[in-house]
Amino acid sequence: MSVYLVSMGTYVGFFMILALALNLQWGITGMVNFGIAGFYALGAYTSGLLTVRLGVPVGLAIPAACLAGLGLGAAVALLSVRLREDFLAIVTLGVGEMIRLIVLNEDQITEGPRGLRIEARPFGTMIAPEHYPLFYLGLVAACVLLAYAVCEAIRRAPMGRTLRAIREDDVVAAVLGKNVLLHRVRIFAVGGFFMGLAGALYAHYVQNISPEVFMPVVAMFIWMSVIVGGAGNNRGILLGAGAVMVFLEGTRFVGDFTDALDAEKMSALRIIGIGLLLIVTLRLRPRGLLPERKFNASSKLSA
Amino acid sequence: MSLQMIVNALVNAALIAPPAMAFSLLFGILRFPNFAIGGYITVGAFAAYTLNVPLGLPLPLAAAGAMTFTALVVWGAHVVVFRPMQGQSAITLLVVSIAVTLILENLIRLFFSADVRGFDIPLQRPWNVFGARITPEQVEIIVWSLVIGVMLHLLLAHTRIGRAMRAVADNPMLAAIRGVSAAHVTAFTTAICGALFGLTGVFAGLDLVIEPLVGWNLTIPIFAAAILGGIGSPYGAILGAILVGLAEEATILVLPSTYKIAVGFVIIAVLLLVRPQGLLGTAEIKK
Amino acid sequence: MAETVLATRSLTSGYGKAVICQNVTLDLCEGQITCIIGPNGAGKSTLLKTIAGVVRPISGSVCIARREIAGLPAASIARSGMAYVPQEANVFRQLTTHENLTMGAWTDPRRAEATCARVYGMFPDLKPLRRVRAGNLSGGQRQMVAFGMAMMLEPQVLLLDEPSAGLSPLMVRQMFDIVRRVNAQGVAILMVEQNAIEGLRIAHRGIVMAAGRVALEGTAQSLLASNEVSELYLGTRA
Repeated sequence: MSVYLVSMGTYVGFFMILALALNLQWGITGMVNFGIAGFYALGAYTSGLLTVRLGVPVGLAIPAACLAGLGLGAAVALLSVRLREDFLAIVTLGVGEMIRLIVLNEDQITEGPRGLRIEARPFGTMIAPEHYPLFYLGLVAACVLLAYAVCEAIRRAPMGRTLRAIREDDVVAAVLGKNVLLHRVRIFAVGGFFMGLAGALYAHYVQNISPEVFMPVVAMFIWMSVIVGGAGNNRGILLGAGAVMVFLEGTRFVGDFTDALDAEKMSALRIIGIGLLLIVTLRLRPRGLLPERKFNASSKLSA
Repeated sequence: MSLQMIVNALVNAALIAPPAMAFSLLFGILRFPNFAIGGYITVGAFAAYTLNVPLGLPLPLAAAGAMTFTALVVWGAHVVVFRPMQGQSAITLLVVSIAVTLILENLIRLFFSADVRGFDIPLQRPWNVFGARITPEQVEIIVWSLVIGVMLHLLLAHTRIGRAMRAVADNPMLAAIRGVSAAHVTAFTTAICGALFGLTGVFAGLDLVIEPLVGWNLTIPIFAAAILGGIGSPYGAILGAILVGLAEEATILVLPSTYKIAVGFVIIAVLLLVRPQGLLGTAEIKK
Repeated sequence: MAETVLATRSLTSGYGKAVICQNVTLDLCEGQITCIIGPNGAGKSTLLKTIAGVVRPISGSVCIARREIAGLPAASIARSGMAYVPQEANVFRQLTTHENLTMGAWTDPRRAEATCARVYGMFPDLKPLRRVRAGNLSGGQRQMVAFGMAMMLEPQVLLLDEPSAGLSPLMVRQMFDIVRRVNAQGVAILMVEQNAIEGLRIAHRGIVMAAGRVALEGTAQSLLASNEVSELYLGTRA
């Protein structure tokens, strides 16, 4: 049981990092990213392949995965210059799918659907195997805290106000002399950095990664976390990610006690449940469980 | 490019043109890219399957039943889910529409096992046209797709409700000022689009296989066709569908066929960056 | 005095918690033109939108021919014998000129054919443009389509929001001429106009709005002559 809780806690951590990163991109700055699964995969495979194929130490491979996410984020942000947000959504979804397809098809490098086996683990030799899961939970928790601290710092800094101005009306922000593109690229890159980190942490935790984990449905779970938690509010995001993950994993646990439903049906029910959770939350609390506090009441009035 | 590839491209185009037109119409009125269409198409395919195989109805009747059922589902989803959320941002609605697809897809998973299914129709030998193979079902799909294009054109251009549909899509405020009830027009539009998604499910069942992901796999090519033709331009959607079909076939020449589903995305990305209004459209999709 | 065809009593409206129009009481008499002038942000357009049902009133009443219409949706008000021409986006750009006109008779399609001929008679320039999409017309032509659409059901009351906005000086004169001709047929017109002098010249009565309230009211003549108005709103000194 406690093994189960530790593992669930670790997964919650991955989700929280992804959700915080998305909140930075969308909740605070208003830039859409439906390619989360792609960023996650990029981080996982960058770190995994570096250690497996090139023998790079984990301590260097994980930062490299973060940088890969950073680079991809900056590149995708450049697209936002020309696209309205709902169409940027489709394009980013495409970026995510492309990454998954490449991983799936270039199996000479990535092992494709067979899955990539990763031996290397951070501090793997220094910590006894029986304590390792708990240690890893601590490591992930530290990374969540780091992501939270960075996101909160950005939100509170003068820059946070600029970002929200861009979210509300990028034309006005540009007229006011804000370099909208530079801010967008920076924030998207920071978000990508943390998504890469989450991917790398995931890869070295499960030690066997395959493309079917990085389906677009992952992006959906993270989006649901952000919307349910309350876009723009970092604490709400932690709550949302926790709620979604506990729902996903907790129902798996319930499934163990009933024989009436096989695994396939149980997983279908779980996804139906999470879809309904999103719709019901939006009906009852349109701005999420912990909404962002209004930063400027008059901006609503003039809308 | 061989004749066979052109035939394949045409079949693909005929498959995605009707839902691309429907997507375009829905977007015109509801103003967000509706990912729920994947779920709707899957519902159509399984409704037709249920009527055709376990219940033994002939396929044309089953198709009509599936269209009616899907129209009801689409209208129901609009009333229960999307209409109460009208004030939400396009992105929130987009996420909700993906959730709707996930719910429909998994409801079907819950009631049907994961087996691959097909309709109960006699196996027919493909025809040979100048060396290219085409099955009678594929010919039917092309013919029906053309018929539907013409009917939709007549509806939009020459009927009162069709004019109202275009007016509401164009300028909902002015339409209300002139006395058009947006609720009626929206209900009618969702029902028409629902019937088209249902029919697409039937076609997909004829040409591909019937499985829960059938709609999701068609979603991106449909978006690509609609965006290529110009959002809000149902005729452009037909042209877009043909171009997407050709592009998908052409890709197979240079890349493994598993990359085929990426073609739609690449078309969307390139087109949105180069010519955001689409080939025929005038609607703004640029910021 | 002629009969009142449109009356508001203490009409208050706005968006959300922001009140834009406060306590507006006005009467529009049969066959007359009333011109509303005032600085930007005075609430003139919002007042028209409230009367037309596009903006929901917070309190007060709006009567057309003694029938209360405040709070009804725009689509119902469209059947009350009043037609509203918004300032912007006042045509269906994707529809042809002719289709735009038929949309004007949406609530009573049987009359469309007869009134269409009348509207083309009123705007002969539109006739050759029947099959042209409104989005491809010039600003002046679009304004005529918008006007023609509003005339399709032969309204008793016409609400015009800045009919001269964005038009060339020549077109402005034509537009005011059209307004006068329509009025000569007995249609009462409530018009918001930035072009205050021109607007008051063709009007019978004038209303000056400021900060959401009626600041001054009187015959158009008296407003044109008043020092206060010329200094404050017309920018000229008498």
